[in-house]
Amino acid sequence: MSGAGTDASRSTQPSKSSSAPGQRGRPGRQRVGSSFVGDGTNRLLFAALLREEWRLHTQLFGGGRFLTFPLLIAVLTAGATVALVETGTAASTVVFGLHVLALGFGLYSGTAGFAGSSMLENVFGGLSLVLGTAATLPLSRRRLLGIFLVKDALFYAVVFVLPMATAAIPLEGVSATTPVDIATLWLSLSLVFAAGMTATVALIALRTRGVPTWTLLTLVAALASGVLGSASATLAVAQTLVVPQSASLPAGVGLAGATALVAAASLAVYDPTYGKPTRTAVDQFARLRRLGDTVPGATGVNDPLVVKTLLDLSRSAGGVWKPFVSAGILLALVAALVGVVHEITGIEPAPGIFFGGVLGLSAFTTYNWLTQFDALESYLAYPVTIADVFRAKRTAFVLVGTPAVAVPYLAAVLWFGAALIDALVGAVLLAGFGLYYYGLTVYIAGFDPNEFLFDSVRFGQFTVGVAVALVPALVAGFVVVPPTPEVALTLAGVGIGFGAIGAVLSSRAGPKWDRQYRHQ
Amino acid sequence: MGVLRVDELRKSYGDVRAVDGMSFDVEHGELFGFLGPNGAGKTTTIRSLTGQIVPDEGTIDVLGTDPTTAPIETRTRVGILPEQATPPSFLTPEEYLEFVGDVRDLDEGAVADGIDRWAERLGFESKLETLHTDLSRGQQQKVMISQAFLHEPELVLIDEPLANLDPLVQEQVKQFLTSYAAADNAVFVSTHNIDVAADICTRVGIVADGKIVAERSVADETSDDLLETFLDHVDDANARDLPSLERDAIQT
Repeated sequence: MSGAGTDASRSTQPSKSSSAPGQRGRPGRQRVGSSFVGDGTNRLLFAALLREEWRLHTQLFGGGRFLTFPLLIAVLTAGATVALVETGTAASTVVFGLHVLALGFGLYSGTAGFAGSSMLENVFGGLSLVLGTAATLPLSRRRLLGIFLVKDALFYAVVFVLPMATAAIPLEGVSATTPVDIATLWLSLSLVFAAGMTATVALIALRTRGVPTWTLLTLVAALASGVLGSASATLAVAQTLVVPQSASLPAGVGLAGATALVAAASLAVYDPTYGKPTRTAVDQFARLRRLGDTVPGATGVNDPLVVKTLLDLSRSAGGVWKPFVSAGILLALVAALVGVVHEITGIEPAPGIFFGGVLGLSAFTTYNWLTQFDALESYLAYPVTIADVFRAKRTAFVLVGTPAVAVPYLAAVLWFGAALIDALVGAVLLAGFGLYYYGLTVYIAGFDPNEFLFDSVRFGQFTVGVAVALVPALVAGFVVVPPTPEVALTLAGVGIGFGAIGAVLSSRAGPKWDRQYRHQ
Repeated sequence: MGVLRVDELRKSYGDVRAVDGMSFDVEHGELFGFLGPNGAGKTTTIRSLTGQIVPDEGTIDVLGTDPTTAPIETRTRVGILPEQATPPSFLTPEEYLEFVGDVRDLDEGAVADGIDRWAERLGFESKLETLHTDLSRGQQQKVMISQAFLHEPELVLIDEPLANLDPLVQEQVKQFLTSYAAADNAVFVSTHNIDVAADICTRVGIVADGKIVAERSVADETSDDLLETFLDHVDDANARDLPSLERDAIQT
């Protein structure tokens, strides 16, 4: 990152003389007045941003751990592909699943990379080249963001999507056409990733023009309900949009063109001067604390650490709805996957068990949101322990995470018509797995759940931990539909057991991270 | 009995010795300046004094507590103004100070009085309902100063107290720190600003390479004397080779 910053700083040096000490001329860089023009600057910025991204990850995770991350993605994807194909899943279904993953990651990257939101500012502060240079160099923020997005798309297309594309090998077997197959799949996945990213960027750009959030959410909901109105429509759209390689060449080219067009339009619409007016608030802290002291059911909000977390969450960009949106995106992706699997194979899982198991994963995103607006160090000016802080986060997680995941779960069991026993056992799995995934996340990642996504060792531990619970439950959900009382009882027991493990893990996380932090 | 006593403190991060045999003490009524360049070991020392990290060796006594074994007891007794600005919090100054009062288990009425008093003293009454993220850095620093003194502790540990403050408020804070220490309390100020140390401190410990290399009673020294002492002990060869223009800049 420092190197990138140095390069950018050099370009700001006054060019009184080409032979001035410490100054070197660079080809492709021209100046007119105080402005930079020409492709040379774009290339320079692109290279600096790319270098910054690379160093951010390699230095943050000690180099080796990040360098093995693409390898881990490839191994996990290939392993899952082999397992799915061997158990009778059609290759086209696996390919569709990969595209859904790429689309989901694209949607997420667009949010995190472009929003300039509270989370981004907290994570990168004023150090990020893209955030900093627009204020100090004669470069427009719109232009910087455009290059930033191109860089992000290419970086993740290589680091994340390319390893996924290697999963094509066990699908078709190794042959002379394997390199072409992988390249085609990679292009297709990358296109879907870019489309997802662009969709989010477009929404954010509209937001900077004053389009209310509720209007945007309504627009998304209307589009989603129109597109996903029926399973056959889902399949048609999926083949055209979500899996470009399955569609005709003109359709694929059309999607690429539309993505580029929407991206360009979004940049044009984006208002770089957009800023919220100074915000004020009446004293909610005292009100919530009093609620916790006086209302028997309001357990938890009598802890100032919990109240602070809840207020930070509700007042940061996106408000208290962020965890709901994250869980909703997970629901939409899984629902699309279930619909397509049913359409292709005729198999439909027990919706309660299936969605209960998978939606528990939203524990990760909910916890991520709860830790984005503070740092562990900031609490050490007060007489509280690190274990106290983790305990408060767990209470906040239960208060926020329960409704955030209950709403999509209820929607899923109603939409897919789950049997009562299936819905009940799914609810137990949801609660138990949610607590387990939470405990796993806190124990492995501590206060930085977002960062460990690119730490191959921790990510590997987390993935194995998730798979141990989730895979058997999903298999049961596909095999026994609806679940027999015996299977339901067993699964409920499994859910309770994993929930207990999660409680133990989250209880031990505080002392563990206290030791690590204080004895660093 | 001293307020703060540190003996042969050592702390390494891997191969880097951040603190290497630090020893000093602070008495009631003192405003002790912990003066040193960046990377001298000041922040690591403060983090050890407040129990945020465990030192490798040495003993620390803070108001009769040991922050290594009983950090909560220590942090209950002292006030702390950390070096780094707090991450963006979405609480208002009023709510944030209520939060601090709650965490410190202070009486609600006393907290309310404290908020009014500090807001008036540092001039942020009109910002009490503005979200912390939307305050200027100077305003944020004022709020952070307030939280360090809210429970009127016997000892306050401050890292760069005047950062981001305008000259008028700087003077107010300097006067307050001086009077607070004089009222039989103690203030420990970590800074790399020689003028600040010379201006407000009663005694200064000069820090270099992880230890105190010189101690001076500021009453006996002018700012220029302190600068000379500082240059004598801190990387003197490099500092004295600076061009005269930059030396002038340091002195001004």
